[in-house]
Amino acid sequence: MANPVNTFLLTDLLKGLWTTFKNQRPSLVVTEQYPQERPQVMERYRGAPRLNTHPETAETLCIACNLCALACPEQLIVVTSERNPETRRKELTNFIYDTSRCMFCGLCEDACPVDALELTQDFELATFTREGQIWDRQMLEEGPLPTEYRH
Amino acid sequence: MEEFLSNPYLQSIVATLLIIALFPLIAGYMVLAERKILADLQVRLGPMRVGPYGALQPLADALKLMLKEDIIPSGADKWVFWMAPVLSTFTALSAFAVLPLSDKFYVADVNIGILFILAMSSIGALGLILGGWSSNSKYSLMGSLRAAAQMVSYEVPLSFAAVTGIMCAGTLSMQGIVQAQYERGVWGAFDNYLLMLIPTVLFIIAGTAETNRAPFDLPEAESEIVAGFHTEYSGFRFALYFLAEYAAIFVISGICVTLFFGGWLRPFPNVGFLETPLSVGLPVVLFGVIALACLRGATRQIVAGFKLGMFGLAVVALLLAALFYIPTVNPLIIGLFWFLAKVAVLVYMFIWYRGTFPRFRYDQLMDVGWKWLIPVSLAGLIINSVAQMLARS
Amino acid sequence: MSDTMLAPPPAPEATLLDSNELVINMGPQHPSTHGVLRVILKLDGETVLGAECVIGYLHRGVEKIAENRTYQQFAPYVDRMDYVAAVSNGLGYCMAVEKLLDVEIPDRARAVRVILAEINRISSHLLWLGTHALDIGAITPVFLCFREREEALKIFEKYCGARLTTHAFRIGGLQYETYDTFEKDCLTFCGLMGEKLKEYHDLLTGNRIWVNRTKGIGILNAADCKDYGVTGPVLRASGEEWDIRRAQPYCGYEKYDFDIPTAKNGDTFDRYMVRMEEIVQSCRIIRQAVEDIPAGPIKGKVGKVIKPPPGEAYVSVEAPKGELGYYVVSDGSLNPYRVRVRPPSFVNLGALDKMCRGSLVADVVAIIGTIDIVLGEVDR
Repeated sequence: MANPVNTFLLTDLLKGLWTTFKNQRPSLVVTEQYPQERPQVMERYRGAPRLNTHPETAETLCIACNLCALACPEQLIVVTSERNPETRRKELTNFIYDTSRCMFCGLCEDACPVDALELTQDFELATFTREGQIWDRQMLEEGPLPTEYRH
Repeated sequence: MEEFLSNPYLQSIVATLLIIALFPLIAGYMVLAERKILADLQVRLGPMRVGPYGALQPLADALKLMLKEDIIPSGADKWVFWMAPVLSTFTALSAFAVLPLSDKFYVADVNIGILFILAMSSIGALGLILGGWSSNSKYSLMGSLRAAAQMVSYEVPLSFAAVTGIMCAGTLSMQGIVQAQYERGVWGAFDNYLLMLIPTVLFIIAGTAETNRAPFDLPEAESEIVAGFHTEYSGFRFALYFLAEYAAIFVISGICVTLFFGGWLRPFPNVGFLETPLSVGLPVVLFGVIALACLRGATRQIVAGFKLGMFGLAVVALLLAALFYIPTVNPLIIGLFWFLAKVAVLVYMFIWYRGTFPRFRYDQLMDVGWKWLIPVSLAGLIINSVAQMLARS
Repeated sequence: MSDTMLAPPPAPEATLLDSNELVINMGPQHPSTHGVLRVILKLDGETVLGAECVIGYLHRGVEKIAENRTYQQFAPYVDRMDYVAAVSNGLGYCMAVEKLLDVEIPDRARAVRVILAEINRISSHLLWLGTHALDIGAITPVFLCFREREEALKIFEKYCGARLTTHAFRIGGLQYETYDTFEKDCLTFCGLMGEKLKEYHDLLTGNRIWVNRTKGIGILNAADCKDYGVTGPVLRASGEEWDIRRAQPYCGYEKYDFDIPTAKNGDTFDRYMVRMEEIVQSCRIIRQAVEDIPAGPIKGKVGKVIKPPPGEAYVSVEAPKGELGYYVVSDGSLNPYRVRVRPPSFVNLGALDKMCRGSLVADVVAIIGTIDIVLGEVDR
């Protein structure tokens, strides 16, 4: 600005033009074409909830202790269980998780003493109905039905 | 038949019909080019979903705009609201009448050609003012007030720059201006010991302001007054404003090319040995490269239909290349090729500014116009007349 | 261009005719009021005679929610106030509760907290730069800024699993141990920022249009800043060297060597330069902190159930936008009795009228951008 020659020759403006011009290299494009190109999701990502089962016996790991429901700030988890008269243990009957109210803070995951409840890397949670956002035990164990995202 | 073909109005009528029929399409593709180039400048991809690389996006946009509801705000002056975009589009398109697209392809060669264009673009400002005023919205009103002030102040340096170009060529006829540059053997911009560069740069700056393009896009500054004069417009009427804006860009670039960059002449118009490489070689190679790029792009497409589309584009480009190779066709279209190529470069520059610069403020815009551009353009006129007198005496 | 051109026209005392006044409603749906801010502008032509903010369109009653949640449960909600600087919010709240509990935070946790807070400061400033430039009409910087911000968000995603509303800290320390390449990622990010800042300077700093649009616009001098309680970069741009990180060091900021960038004029350009320099200084802090992250535990002696003794605590941290304070009152139960937030955006927005008077409509947009507000924090 101080230099009158620069002011007259518009050097400050040309510098900006050169900066944008340089950015035109096709290799600099950062756009991700989402359904075709999958984003790289990090290992610790807090996405769709999952209720883990034992890898061999396929029995649920959940001990129905209700700690996750207590930890949840939105109180969106409902754990129902009944006491097995033989083993005198609580057994999980149903587990309801309302993903429409979830803010994926991870507190339920932290609270779980047996690593049964886990927030996974799946981030595609769109449904056609509000009811579809409320996941029951089966959905939490098997994961959401495979959905193909297209445009 | 013989009589029909020799009718003196035939060429004008055909050209008029072609321009009116094709211009909306061209404007649509100018929008696509703008979006694509802006995306390039901003490390993005731009439209990619409608057709291969977004090639059909303009058609989808046009369809959407035509199907949208035409909302008229309550309290709007209905007739003025209806007619304002028509006025803008009409004046912008009528300026094409004297634009020399090539030595063969033009509507009319009037001996006051450039005056006609400047007059028409002045009336075009009225379309913006009326549109903003009749909307009965405060944002629109502010946009149209800005448009009025801006158009008036920037028409002066624009005209001074144009006058300098006219003085250099010695005629007001658009074809005559090109012819004069052919005879002098140099483009207007580099005449008078390069002093003509001053009005050239001024013309581009004032032209940017005259067409309301960034960094002078105050009448439609979207971050300040929402959309300026066309805030309340929707649907087809909005599309008309768009059409008018892009027609104005094309016309201003066309005048600039005619006055300062040799119109439809090829570079170095008087150097004989460049005839074959520039008139035949360059277009053939250019379209050949485009065809190759399309073929390369086709292999990257995922959708089968898009692949086919890219092959189609490659074939079209190859056909165009072949067209330039035919000795009888070449002289007919080479002028158009050079004109459009030069206009394309200028349009690219318009988009490039938009992608780079912040917007002026209203009072600063006036300062730049009245305190800088007008004195400098006057000085340019005087300096050039002296230089021209010395050079040609 | 001459300097006389840069000064805004003086505000007219009274107009010739009262009917000349035009009242326009900017927002809540306006492209550049940064969310749902509504400003009622009184204009004479294009000159602003007065501006009145109407807020509350994003009010969610966060402070009331706190009274119905346990201490730990409320932590995710504070992220949603200033959502572009969620880490700073989390840090302030966690520190306030820790003060109530009177627990010592391990050194390792403090170092990681500093690193994340500084990365968050950079990402917040990047978002500010992009949107501010967009308001003034430069449409390219916003994309470049988002490109760099993405790298910062990737670090957050790798560390705690969320990108924006991170919930990275827990009361008493950290929940997550750092991941394997954490140090390397942070240093790469600092290097990248050093490189890309040049690009922003090329695009904006020297540009005459940018200088004209920002120099002498929205001047707020140090005395006015104090009157309005304005903090953060806006205060520092008016020449006051006030930074909570230096004035009341927390989290071990006293260990790190950094400058507090200040400027003289207190106009939009100075605030721009101060924030750009703050990005550089944040990089310096990150570099020093990454060099020696002490080994050790990441969580202090805090029980599973957080039940502070009755009392109150006020803790303020230097958020990207200014002084962010949390005042937590405990009555000895599981839930806080009262949580009061001192949001920097809300306080800084109060000076809008003062800064706008006498400038033009286009400047209002620039001034809203330069205060750097987030409506989630203003309305809470």
